[in-house]
Amino acid sequence: MVNERESLFRRLSAACGGHGAPPGERLPAEAPVAPEVDPLALFAKTFAAADGVLLRGPVEKAVSDLGELLRAEGVTALFFPEDDAAAREIAEALVPFGPFSLTTGAEVRDGSAAVTAGFRTAEAAIAETGTIVETSAGGRTLLPGLISDVHVSIVPAASVVARMEEALAAFTADPPRNLSFLSGPSRTGDIEQTLTIGAHGPRKAIALLLG
Amino acid sequence: MELNANAFGRNARKALLDKTLQGALERTTGRFQAHRDAAVAAFPEFEAARERASRIKLDVLDHLDTYLARFIEEAEKRGAIVHVARDAAQAREIAARIARDEGVTLAVKSKSMASEEISLNEALQGAGVTVVESDLGEYIIQLAGETPSHIIAPAVHKTREQISRLFERHLGEPPTDSIPELVGMARKHLRAKFLSAGMGVSGGNFLVADTGSVVLVTNEGNGRMGTILPRVHLAVVGIEKVIPRMADLPTFLRLLPRSASGQAISSYVSVVTGTRRAGDPEGPDRTHILLLDCGRSAILEGKYREILKCVRCAACLNVCPVYQSVGGHAYGWVYSGPIGAVLTPLLVGLPEASALPDASTLCGACADVCPVKIPLPDFLLELRSDARDQGLKTPGEIAAMKGYAGVMKRAGLLEAIERIGGVLGQLFTKGKGIGGLPYPLSGWTERRDFPVPASLPFRKQWKIKRGARD
Repeated sequence: MVNERESLFRRLSAACGGHGAPPGERLPAEAPVAPEVDPLALFAKTFAAADGVLLRGPVEKAVSDLGELLRAEGVTALFFPEDDAAAREIAEALVPFGPFSLTTGAEVRDGSAAVTAGFRTAEAAIAETGTIVETSAGGRTLLPGLISDVHVSIVPAASVVARMEEALAAFTADPPRNLSFLSGPSRTGDIEQTLTIGAHGPRKAIALLLG
Repeated sequence: MELNANAFGRNARKALLDKTLQGALERTTGRFQAHRDAAVAAFPEFEAARERASRIKLDVLDHLDTYLARFIEEAEKRGAIVHVARDAAQAREIAARIARDEGVTLAVKSKSMASEEISLNEALQGAGVTVVESDLGEYIIQLAGETPSHIIAPAVHKTREQISRLFERHLGEPPTDSIPELVGMARKHLRAKFLSAGMGVSGGNFLVADTGSVVLVTNEGNGRMGTILPRVHLAVVGIEKVIPRMADLPTFLRLLPRSASGQAISSYVSVVTGTRRAGDPEGPDRTHILLLDCGRSAILEGKYREILKCVRCAACLNVCPVYQSVGGHAYGWVYSGPIGAVLTPLLVGLPEASALPDASTLCGACADVCPVKIPLPDFLLELRSDARDQGLKTPGEIAAMKGYAGVMKRAGLLEAIERIGGVLGQLFTKGKGIGGLPYPLSGWTERRDFPVPASLPFRKQWKIKRGARD
């Protein structure tokens, strides 16, 4: 196949040749910076606009509100990454608030019939778009936001950035295999162009803003 | 996909008589358009982002060899296996070989127009692989044995009743008229496939040169599942999808979802780079990236190179009066609407699709909405002129156009014809419109009345009105 590759590059070089400026020369400068905003206030607005549910404020109150939300969704099983202390703490604190039992991502993946909530601390959140950023960097699992019915993101306030550029910059030098932007629940408009929540991913996206 | 572009006239007639399709088109294109307009109005940076995206793409076209080489180098450095296919036949061969070598029997596929170009599913099925489409719209039309009719809403021509009947027949589900229930049924059946498939097949919205990443934009989460859960990932992407830097990605992410569906961002953006690293609990053990030329390097050489800036948002479909009337299937190949009318002839050869550049009113709405500023109406006109130069127009059409040009160049002659036309028109039709003309004019009047020439020509009316004002 090396020959096929060489022949492609011969065709491309012939087609591109003689266009003058070196690569990148005519690229526009960095994107214009948007007006100064309070990232936390903007994130609260955009996350809601993406049909996410944001909880903040005193942890005790947030956990009890979360318990109510999960019961309303019929959730019975909670899971979190083994090495995610913050997610574990919230999930364990929730157990008294409902008929919740703790399980693992592996069990959920292998086909537990229960309605599940997956907990995970976000690497970052983006105010511009109401986005939760999750990656596989450092061997982290992505299952809580992937195969759960309800996804609960723990978002430390300090991790909220204004723009997408800031969130991506941290992963450009050595990108992990998976980097995901999650903005609200999974949705589809494929049947009669009617917005319907819960196609393949979580039916509900909740963010718990801490600190 | 089988090519049937030169049957546009026949296909369009059929589409215009299809009541279900007409209802679906009315519902869909209007809604997409309204959502897009609202999203753009709410985003003051849109024009600046558009200009920026266009310039980035132009830089890529000037240096596609450099950026593509960088992409391949970075992707391979991080464990991806990169393949290059000159044409569809070669791409099918490579995909089939990958599936056989990896011992795959079940593959879940997320939406990819490029894969339709090369008829990827047939190739994989030929290698003994069951391919399940996982985008809900694609899944529905796969069950129905049809092809997509809209770039981002492939099943726009299907009603919930039709879909329920399909799920009853193929999945054994009870009938329902509830859309959430239908979505739930597909979710359940496809989840099982995601968890057992050996290979996830995806397209790619962007290839990032400075990191070797493939970027997927979806709403359902199927692209994400298919690139995280199965042990093999195959991405099939056109070579023109390269962008120079990860830092350029936000510009495109600000434009694509807004232009496509009117969302500020799609639910999921997956940036996948190389293969699973040591210690990663998920992710494929092997990542194959199949880069398609399939006519693109030839386009890059010529006057239509800017068509390669396209990000496949489908905004031009939704605003096009022709697409709104006939839908996607009439265009007879993978791409429809204004982008299809330009891209198809360029990818498959003008003689094979010379009917498509004529399938436009040249109203210019497509150029107004294009997020990367492709001059689509200019290209449509230019292709018509190429078709004439290549002898693809009938002598009758050429003679008619020559006659038209001759009259339009002589004001006196035009006025005389207008006057005679006005008198005769009023005399014979009593102002009702002209229908049922003999061949070859029957082509015009078969499905619509030709308006009666005005009794007073426009320029005469203009003079009178202006005179009255002065």
